[in-house]
Amino acid sequence: MNAFHPFFRHADLMHRTRRHFLRDCASGLGALWLATTSGRAWGAAGVAAKDMSRPLRPVPPSIRARAKRVIYLHMAGSPSQLELFDYKPELARQDGKDCPASLLAGKQFAFIQGVPKMLGPQYSFQQHGQSGQWVSDRLPHFASVVDEVCFIKSMYTDQFNHGPAQLLMHTGTQNPGAASAGAWATYGLGAENQNLPGFIVLTSGGKNPDAGKSVWGSGFLPSVYQGVQCRSQGDPVLFLSNPAGITRSQRRRTLDALNEINEKTAREVGDPETLTRIAQYELAFRMQVDATDAFDITREPESVHKLYGTELGKESFANNCLLARRLAERGVRYIQLFDWGWDSHGASESEALSHGFKGKCQSVDRPMMALISDLKQRGLLEDTLVVWSGEFGRTSMRENRSGLEMQFVGRDHNPGAFTIWMAGGGVKGGISHGETDDFGYQSAIDRVSVHDFHATMLALLGFDHLRLTYPVSGVNMRLTNVTKPGSQVVKAVMA
Amino acid sequence: MNSGISRFVLWTFLGSVAGAANSSSAATPSGPASSDFNRDIRPLFAKHCTACHGGVKAAGKISFVYREQAMALGKSGKRAILPGDPEGSELMRRVTSTDPDERMPQPDHGPALTEGEVAMLRNWIREGAKWSEHWSFVPPQPPAEPKVRDNTWSVTPADRFVLARLEAEGWKPSAEASPAEWLRRVTLDLIGLPPTPKEFEAYLEDRRDNARRAKEKVVDRLLDSPRFGERWAAMWLDLARYSDTYGFEKDPHRDIWPWRDWVIRAFNADMPFDEFTIKQLAGDLLERPTADDLLATAFHRNTQNNTEGGTDDEEYRTVAVHDRVNTTWTAWQATTFGCAQCHAHPYDPIPQRDYYRFAAFYDNTEDCDQNDDFPRLLFSQDLTRRDEVTRWQLEARDLRQLLNMEGLAAVAGVSDWQTLVPTNAKASGGQLTVGDDARIRASGTLPVKVTYTLTLPAIQGLTALRLDIFPETGDPKAAPERGQVLSKIAVSLSSAGVTNQPVALQELIADYLAGPFDAARVIDSGGGFGSYPVQNTSRRAVVVLAKPLEAPADATLEITIDHGIASNSGVQGCPLRHFALAFTKDTRLSAFASGSERQEKWKSLQSLKDRLKDQPGTRVPILVERSQPARRDTRVFVRGNRATRDEAVTPGIPDVVVPPKKEGDLSRLDMARWLVGDANPLAARVLANRLWAEMFGRGIVETLEDFGTSGARPTHPELLDHLALRLRGEWRWSIKRFLREIALSATYGQSAIVTADLAERDPFNQWYARGPRVRLTAEMVRDQALALSGTLSTKSYGPPVYPPQPDGVWSTVYSGDKWNTSQDADRFRRAIYTYQKRTSGYPVFLTFDAPTRDACTARRLASNTPLQALTVLNDPAFIEMAQSFANRMEVVADTPAGQIQYACRLLTLEPPPRSVVDALLKLYQGSLDEFRSDPASADKLAPTPERAALVLVANTLLNLDLALTR
Repeated sequence: MNAFHPFFRHADLMHRTRRHFLRDCASGLGALWLATTSGRAWGAAGVAAKDMSRPLRPVPPSIRARAKRVIYLHMAGSPSQLELFDYKPELARQDGKDCPASLLAGKQFAFIQGVPKMLGPQYSFQQHGQSGQWVSDRLPHFASVVDEVCFIKSMYTDQFNHGPAQLLMHTGTQNPGAASAGAWATYGLGAENQNLPGFIVLTSGGKNPDAGKSVWGSGFLPSVYQGVQCRSQGDPVLFLSNPAGITRSQRRRTLDALNEINEKTAREVGDPETLTRIAQYELAFRMQVDATDAFDITREPESVHKLYGTELGKESFANNCLLARRLAERGVRYIQLFDWGWDSHGASESEALSHGFKGKCQSVDRPMMALISDLKQRGLLEDTLVVWSGEFGRTSMRENRSGLEMQFVGRDHNPGAFTIWMAGGGVKGGISHGETDDFGYQSAIDRVSVHDFHATMLALLGFDHLRLTYPVSGVNMRLTNVTKPGSQVVKAVMA
Repeated sequence: MNSGISRFVLWTFLGSVAGAANSSSAATPSGPASSDFNRDIRPLFAKHCTACHGGVKAAGKISFVYREQAMALGKSGKRAILPGDPEGSELMRRVTSTDPDERMPQPDHGPALTEGEVAMLRNWIREGAKWSEHWSFVPPQPPAEPKVRDNTWSVTPADRFVLARLEAEGWKPSAEASPAEWLRRVTLDLIGLPPTPKEFEAYLEDRRDNARRAKEKVVDRLLDSPRFGERWAAMWLDLARYSDTYGFEKDPHRDIWPWRDWVIRAFNADMPFDEFTIKQLAGDLLERPTADDLLATAFHRNTQNNTEGGTDDEEYRTVAVHDRVNTTWTAWQATTFGCAQCHAHPYDPIPQRDYYRFAAFYDNTEDCDQNDDFPRLLFSQDLTRRDEVTRWQLEARDLRQLLNMEGLAAVAGVSDWQTLVPTNAKASGGQLTVGDDARIRASGTLPVKVTYTLTLPAIQGLTALRLDIFPETGDPKAAPERGQVLSKIAVSLSSAGVTNQPVALQELIADYLAGPFDAARVIDSGGGFGSYPVQNTSRRAVVVLAKPLEAPADATLEITIDHGIASNSGVQGCPLRHFALAFTKDTRLSAFASGSERQEKWKSLQSLKDRLKDQPGTRVPILVERSQPARRDTRVFVRGNRATRDEAVTPGIPDVVVPPKKEGDLSRLDMARWLVGDANPLAARVLANRLWAEMFGRGIVETLEDFGTSGARPTHPELLDHLALRLRGEWRWSIKRFLREIALSATYGQSAIVTADLAERDPFNQWYARGPRVRLTAEMVRDQALALSGTLSTKSYGPPVYPPQPDGVWSTVYSGDKWNTSQDADRFRRAIYTYQKRTSGYPVFLTFDAPTRDACTARRLASNTPLQALTVLNDPAFIEMAQSFANRMEVVADTPAGQIQYACRLLTLEPPPRSVVDALLKLYQGSLDEFRSDPASADKLAPTPERAALVLVANTLLNLDLALTR
């Protein structure tokens, strides 16, 4: 067959393809994806029915949803809970003493050797807001919105290296290859806005997270659910803008020619994939406008820039928080921020609690406050879940790399305890859930595992974490990791 | 969207095997008459029962995975299944019960069985509850010749199987594809590049004589093309999780591209798949391995290596071993063996112990997650010198072993070892204590570079020291302890007026040689002796003095032990923590060590090393087996947790796949030979299915990665067995002969037109009533654009290249690696040579569904997304190709119409119809008008507005549905 010269033509087929083509384009819901090679059933989405030929079509959640979307602020490297939120006066009293053997037995550290010294909190703490929550003097702006915030201070993980711990935090598994929470959310709920990716990733701090792009990958889910990393330099979405010399009208012209020939192919060959492809090209054309607009923060008034502390033309956490709000407004399902540079070991000035850490705190303090108050003011906070976390906590002991006292003060990785916070999206504001021991070293009361946290986040989005599954190699995989059963929704934090 | 191809998925309940029941119905469009266990019953068990009564959990002691357990008495004392007696079978009572406390599956676990399912179960029990092994574990049998009514259509035996199935459904095959359609399909499928109009002309010419012969000529030309290997290696690299980087945090560069070249060469040379397998899995264990045999073993060094500071080397070594197991079982066996890592396989009869027995094949290689990817071997880039350079390295290794073995023989003759008790033992950090048993223990914070100083009155006539390093607890079931390695040992004498006069040491003889450090250098420039990165058993070394010690009467002997080796990416020190010393005055040892014969051997070793020092080449990570005394103790991990080790196991192959019989332990080489031997029911089927899927876009078993209970069932089981047996037998594992047969088949040669009827009845073309129509792979999308634009470089092999990629895509933590865009012909190399970074893949490839290569990938699912559209429309690399394409058009023809016709022929081989030329001419004219009024824009694309307009035409052609599919 020469595709241009068909010897076969079927009037009914032509009629059908034409009709379907028009319907799809008119509704703007042309199928984004079709597993051309697959005739198998796709797994239980925990929802009534899922049409896998339209993978991003909005789907209602299976249980009552409190949040429609997520903005996840990940501080890559893991900020010290002991210098920000988990106030431990007893640790201050132990400062400089040899770490008791009981804290070391059976523990594995990344860098600490032998018997390290205890390290008291490096900054002072105060209670804030009507709820009287403790926040250190590093985050004065954030402290002003603390009544909106729900802390979980009893988080723990089982990974003590960045890459694996970040993977666990975002995919429920410490090795690369599983689907990220954002992929699960778009798989389960689809996209509210078809002209923008449903899962967008923004990074600041100069680096991607340690675990690389796997933390927003689709893993075993179809690739259409992977996060789209948007950039602050050049095109926000790779290859979004037309190349130099090609104007929008020229692009329209090429698409018109493309459509004309593709429609002919569709009529003559009859492969439904061709129709899908036509729809994808039109969607790409619309995305060029809508995404460009969504990412153009210069359209915001000066007052908003002041509120966030944005720096135009640069890559910054403040810019990303403002972008996150713009994307949330436009119905992006899952907005994932990574801010790199929180690994306060004390091995150099930039990663010392006394130096680099201060600067990092300053760079996120105002934007975090701005994001929460801006969302609230626009009525978006009630159905937008904001999450803030690292990938693990930091030790109550001072790091002694190579068995020596280091020039700067820092803390090693601690999987035993860390603090995360959430706001909006159906969580209780102004509360603190769970406690650590007297040294802030181990989660002690109302312990919350990473899988519990995932179960809770999915519950807020309207899913039973046991039922949002996908079949992989004979197992119905889920975000809360089938090989480690027993995760629980933390109902105490839900409004 | 056509409703015939939309699929709706209904609830499947927690723990059920999604897809299992569905896939069985997909394989049997007409209903069953009498019951068949594998077709009807096993999927039903998997869907409703095995989550609680399976391999992981056997509630009430009932499991529906193993026959004995299904037929045995349950905990209740009742029999779930009484063959021949449905009414007496507890199973039937429970699945039909209306009492919610009795009903199975329990109401909160899942819905009740449908009436049809109950009837099927009852029927099966009534007929005697015949149990059979899952189809893929039963060795393939030569199927009966299929009977077909139309005896003219088939070209190859395979066609008869396809036709028989179609005739059974009352369908007819489609007409033969046009010459252009077939030539484009077969060329892209076999070499990954489009055919040229010249090749098309030649084919048409040949067809005039004999159409069949003409096809053969084309296929033979393609199979002989050096481009063939580049296309088919891509398939293998996905399975091998090939990458030019380590993975994880810093994701450093790895030099393993010589292995990728080995794969391409192997495909080009049509290396039989059995040989291809044995070399990759155990080339190092072959007698007198060649350089290529050793290079092939880099297959399993494509595992990730975690260099993040503080990551446990032993943990990631174990992860790599398990990855090798899982990859072997996915790539060769299409079995979800990894499921048995934590517990017995949930659906297939594989006990957990079998997982660890198989892991034992891979548990004794030297690699241990070191930052330098140890062990590596130097491969000369000059292929003619490769074997020679390899031989020198093997000779050096063997000679070093020989020297140590001879040393051990000399040590064995010494019997008067006496305990050495230091009078003083101090450490430069932390504490040392000498116990009553004369064992020395270290505690406190031990710096990485801690030095121990042991002093005692000098021992007159001392000839050798013996060092024993003990584990701290030595419990083989506990998590492995951190290693203990000294990096240097020195001895000195002090007496009145003379302090620390060095005592010359001759050599160190080790209990065995293993690990990344040179034990011989411990006595001089610094090396390493001990267990690293972890220690399970005691170690022993003997340090021989150059001559018997002569010391003044009041002299003090000082033994200094230095450290400096740290594990876990160089951050966790590995000093001695539990050790003891002994000494001897036996003069035979020093005489032996300083003997001239031995000195000569050391010298030859040194000259071999000197010769290797400046050899140009690439150091590639390979598999190196540890010697017998260094064997690791492989144990079952309780619940898959490496910290809780259980019984020790020896290497073995699961019973379900018919292991070979042999006295003594099986080796990795035995395993590799078994894998491609006649006893293994899986490998030939799996490869036949994979090759079929590459040609048809879909496997006979759709789940290329899973032939087990949870996978899809074959649409054409007899065809699969037929092809598998011929592949292994008649074709002696020749991939080219297999592909030749497929490419010439009538099934493959059909037109791909989808009639409304076909779209409705067979949307995924699983019955092959039409030819395949599949989207190009990620690699083909790039390679075709390069070919059409005339820029394609046909240079083969060599280090990875850097085609244009937007700035800022690479920004890995703690990594200075930069994407330095290739400027010469390397800019236009085939996709397979593009730098492959795990944490930041080449964007175009990821967008077109190439995997990240984190783990073995058996199947790519083709997507169709707006990001793909943006990529081919706007990626500067594709614009550059469109510019060259436009240039090419302008050179060939003078008029826009002529240029467009030429370009269309490059793409589709035939002259384009009027309407297509018109559409493109309209585009050309419209854009030319705009460029003329906006010359600044035109300038950015091309030297003239006319050429700029042609760039848009080229850009459009590269984005056509016709271009992106094959």
